[in-house]
This record gives sequence, structure tokens and C-alpha cells, in this order.
Amino acid sequence: MTDPQGRAVDRRGLVPTSREASLLRRLVARDEQALVELVDLASPWMLGVAEAMLRDRDEAEEVVMEAFRTAWRNVSDAQADARGLMPYLLRVVRHRAIDRLRARRRRQLKLVRVAAEEAGRSVVPAVEPDEAGQPGWHVHRKVHDALERLPAEQAAAVRLAYFEGLTQSEVAETLDIPLGTVKTRLRLAFVRLRGELSGLKDWVL
Amino acid sequence: MTSHDWFDEHRMEYAMHLLDARDTATFEDHLASCAACRDEVAAIERDLAWLPMGAEPAAPRPDFRRRAVDEVLRHERARRGPRWMPMAAAASLLLALGSWWAGTRRADAELATARARLEALEDTLSVIRGAGRVLQASVEMNGAQGGLLIFADERTHRWNVVVHGLPPAPPTGRYQFWFICAEGMVRGAEVRMPGEKPANFTTDMPTVPCTVQGAALSVEPMDATTGPPKGDMIAHLML
Repeated sequence: MTDPQGRAVDRRGLVPTSREASLLRRLVARDEQALVELVDLASPWMLGVAEAMLRDRDEAEEVVMEAFRTAWRNVSDAQADARGLMPYLLRVVRHRAIDRLRARRRRQLKLVRVAAEEAGRSVVPAVEPDEAGQPGWHVHRKVHDALERLPAEQAAAVRLAYFEGLTQSEVAETLDIPLGTVKTRLRLAFVRLRGELSGLKDWVL
Repeated sequence: MTSHDWFDEHRMEYAMHLLDARDTATFEDHLASCAACRDEVAAIERDLAWLPMGAEPAAPRPDFRRRAVDEVLRHERARRGPRWMPMAAAASLLLALGSWWAGTRRADAELATARARLEALEDTLSVIRGAGRVLQASVEMNGAQGGLLIFADERTHRWNVVVHGLPPAPPTGRYQFWFICAEGMVRGAEVRMPGEKPANFTTDMPTVPCTVQGAALSVEPMDATTGPPKGDMIAHLML
């Protein structure tokens, strides 16, 4: 990458960090243009998380809008969060989606859908190479690779419990295995993922 | 098994938001008095902060950006709307104390916002004052004469962009800022024209590797949120 005069700039150094700091500062200052930028950059990933869990585009959009409202209202919390703005937003989305799943008691319908789709699905969806230019794609690629390296039975448990929001009992029922086995697989998987992903510290934007 | 072993075993599940409501409440009670568990949960959350990025991205509907921004700002205005307090309740000592506390909090929040505004203004000014080059182009839109002005700060590799004199975007379109790169056009920020006032924003260089050669402004159809320009170019300038 280059600056306006064509000189090389380290895209993992000054610019991304400066951009995150600049974006946060402008959000704290209630800069509406910064809000537009944030919505533009973060929405695909936030909608992806919400839709995987809720399987309902309208409800996923509601959850993502709630998350943006929360971030706009409590932007100083996001600023103080050592994990950064994007992980903050993703965490808010995921927690809100889980709350909705629990509150609206849609689990039975969801379980039927998941069980029906289970046979024909790969553990981790394939990456489309033509999307490699999307901001954040390099982080997605690394997480995707780490998930693919998990043993298949652990990856299935992580997908159902973490990415689709099923309770551990529902995972046990869906995969037809004991609850204790689900807990063990999840624990092993998260320990392994932790080792692989803890080095990811670059801001995605 | 000691009483603490249960918490040791469930730290990961708590951090990943996998416990049910009752166990979550139990764990949170424990966290209030256990620094070791607090530290470990924080470490797990930090190490796995990017895990949600494993989900496939979903392309937003064409109008999602506008709806999301409008929704956030509408709530903000409603939240900051006029407040009134019943006279009878105001007589209550408890409520008076509550109001004083809330007022203090509100004052603190407003002070923090004012400080942040000042910092942002200083940041914007630093880009303008540090600009090694100032570029400008005329823009004509529906008979209105406006302009595109760029202050390019070579030290921080950032631009301050001013768009002025343009009417609000048509209902079926939106103003889009572009970087002209040797490799092609790279999408920058959407430009919102708030009535008569100029739009002003500070931008970094694109995150994708490219050689920046200039900038452009277009009116894009609402559903053109990705890929190369599909609308009419109304201004461009080269470095």
C-alpha cells in the first residue's frame, strides 16, 4: 500500500492503528460520518454472526442495529475495551442474538432446521476467493483455517454451540452424543483455538 | 472436588457465553470476589476475541446502511430529547438525590463528549495544517455549483476531505468517495450531505494494497454497495 505520494506504507503498522484510533475518536465526538464508515465496514461481519445464529435476515438486522446503537451510546466502553472496537461489536451482536434465541423460544423450530441440514453441510463453509479484497477478510481467513484444522467432531460442536447458538444440551441432542462428551469436545476445541488465535491483534479495518 | 473446581472448569464456557442463565448468574456472583477467575476470563475473551470472524460475512441489503445510521441517530435524538420531572416527584428527597447524581453523570458525559469533540477538531486541524498539498475540483450537480477539496497530510498519510455546495443525494442514490489507484477504483467513504452544510471527513488510505493516484466523487445507485463504480462520476482530481 502507498501513501498519496506513492510511497510504501506498512499496512499492518501505522495506518491501521491510526485509523482505529481516528475512527474511535470521531465516534466519541459524535461524528456521523464516522458512524457511516463503521456501519459500512462492520455490517457484513456482524450480519454474518447474527444470521448464522438466528437464521432470519430481519431479526439479524434488528440485532445488528441494536449493537450499533449500543456502540454509539457507549462508545467510551468500546474505546476502553482492550480487545478493540470490532471484537466489541461482534461480542455485543453474539450476546444479543443468544438472548433472542433464549427469549423467543425458537429453539425447537431451529433444531428441526439444523437437524435437516446437518447431513449435507460441510463443517466450515468454503471461502470465496473473490471476496479477498473485503476489509477484515485476512482475519476471517485465519479464523477459518484454525477452525478447519480442528478435528471434525470438535469443529461440529463449535459450529453448533458457538456459531449457531445452541445450548450444550441441544448440541448433544443434535449430534446424538452425551452432554459430557459435548463439554469435553468444546473445551478441547477452545483451548486449541485459543492457542492459534491469540496472536491475532491487528485491527481488521 | 473443591468448591472452586466448578468455577475452574466452567471459565471457558462462561467466557464463550455457553452457560445457561442460572449458571451464568452463579458464575458472575463468584467473579465479583475472585480475581483469579476474572483475570482468566478476561484472558480467554482477549485470546478468542476474533473467533466470531469465523462466521461467513453477509452482504447487507442495499438500504441497510441508511436504515442503520438513521435508526442510531433517531434513538440518539429521542434519548437526548426534552426531559421533564413531575413537581410532586421533584419534592421527594430520594428523587432529588437521584437527579443530582444523574445530573452529575450527565455533566461528566457531556464533558467527556466535549473533550472528544475538541480532540477530533484538533485532529482534523492537524491534518489540514499538516497538509503538504491541497487539491480541489469543481462539481456540478443538478445545476448547483460545488467543490471537492482535499488536504493531503504527507506525515500521517491521511486526507481531510471537504465536499461543499451539493444538494442532498437523490432518493435513489448516494454520494460515494473513491480513491483512484493504479490498480483501479477503490471505494472510500459514503458522503452524507446534510442540507446546506459542507460534508467534512478525515480518511486514511485504502486498506487494500494499491498505488493512490487521485480521488473521485460519484452518485451511486442505492444497491451498489460493493465493487467498482456503477453510477455517474461528478468530480475527479489527480495527485
